[in-house]
Amino acid sequence: MLTIHNLVKRRGTQEILSGISFEAKPGRVTGFLGPNGAGKSSTLRILLGLDRATSGSALINGKPFAELHHPLATVGAALDGSGAHRMRTGRAHLRWIARAAGLSRSRVEEVLEIVGLTNAAGQRVGKYSLGMGRRLGLAAALLGDPKILILDEPVNGLDPEGIRFIRTFLRERAASGNTVLLSSHLMGELAETVDDVVIIKHGKIVADGTLEEVIGNHSSLEEAFFALTSDKAGDVV
Amino acid sequence: MRAFNAELSKLFSLPGIWFAFLIGAFAPAAIAALDSTAQKEEIIAGVSTRLLEVGYIGLALGVQGVIILGVLAVSSEYLTESSESGGGQQITTSLTVVPSRLRFLLAKAGAVSVISILLCIVAIMTTVSATHLVLGEYTPAFEWPKLLGAVCYWTFTALLAFGITVLTKNGMIPLAVLIINTSVVSFSFLLSKVTKLALYLPDRVGFEMFMFLSNRFLTPFTGGVVMFAWVVVLFIAAAIVFHRRDVAA
Repeated sequence: MLTIHNLVKRRGTQEILSGISFEAKPGRVTGFLGPNGAGKSSTLRILLGLDRATSGSALINGKPFAELHHPLATVGAALDGSGAHRMRTGRAHLRWIARAAGLSRSRVEEVLEIVGLTNAAGQRVGKYSLGMGRRLGLAAALLGDPKILILDEPVNGLDPEGIRFIRTFLRERAASGNTVLLSSHLMGELAETVDDVVIIKHGKIVADGTLEEVIGNHSSLEEAFFALTSDKAGDVV
Repeated sequence: MRAFNAELSKLFSLPGIWFAFLIGAFAPAAIAALDSTAQKEEIIAGVSTRLLEVGYIGLALGVQGVIILGVLAVSSEYLTESSESGGGQQITTSLTVVPSRLRFLLAKAGAVSVISILLCIVAIMTTVSATHLVLGEYTPAFEWPKLLGAVCYWTFTALLAFGITVLTKNGMIPLAVLIINTSVVSFSFLLSKVTKLALYLPDRVGFEMFMFLSNRFLTPFTGGVVMFAWVVVLFIAAAIVFHRRDVAA
């Protein structure tokens, strides 16, 4: 369970998040949608303890990230790119993470297999395509077999096969009771994947509910999204 | 301990670190060999004024290896992937694996220290061998306390490079400044012409631990304590800044 409550983030005079609140529940895929620069990544970074909130809270199973005893076994996260140094091989990247979390080397091979990177594991990350980098990031997130996944733009840069893989994979994770929170600015790719939708615009939540509730009278999630986020649109649903 | 092991694993899997090892292991020996060759005639004739410095000069001027090590350990975390690859940074992964920033910094500093100590021991072996090779029976005896001083000097220098890079996040500035300072022109030497306080700057005061200085002003032990104090102050400053800083900032 992820709980964001009244989260405010200011950087200098700029207000990036103006008191947002929402939840991501177990057994469901929650899509966190918004245009670029709406505050999606900032929210995820605060949730992961990477950035500091000005006020409010972002909790994982009721605790801030920094207080988790086994962070990697609780939450798996994949943010921008691969999150790996470009001169290191994919396998070496996963091995140091495994070492830090006290996981075995065989688990590294397992996650490489899951994301389909076994053959490229000996290559330097700098030689990876964007899609391969994303798969490596996902492999790192899966190392500790966590109950919660937090993914920033997981389908960005993936080929159709990769997108299909992510969709199926995330559906399976949620079906077995896990919590999945993913951010995206791509509506079409997401409509078939998410159960719940949270839409953010200029640091404010403009819609929050199940997929059906958010689509409402609109013909699709995409229509609903544009109706809610275009500057002419009214406020909260 | 796990975080420390992970930091060692990170360092050994970076190709740039092997370049640092190469420089660290052989630059001091090369400098010592050149210096010994240049002075050989004077030493044999018994008129060299710098006999006692022979060999140590290599260890003093050849610290670039650990400077590269200290800088790379931090700058590699902040190296941004190309925008085509998603523009990520390893630091985001590191801090989701080890959430405590202080523990992360201590583990990294620990890994840098251990590697610096080992690298300096290797450098001492190559340097002493090179000096023997050039000077043969005229080689002055190397004293253990001085060699220990050199190990401390290397480790503290690596930690200073580490701390400065935590503050700058970028490796280029600390690398350029520290390497120029140790090899081309010493800023503390220049400043000491203006004020004697400059003798307390970390690189100069560190020399007190193992160099035979004509203008010695501290015991080797006190010199070591003063340099260590610099390391501690810089580490505390780096830890405070690092603790408060947003990764995205």
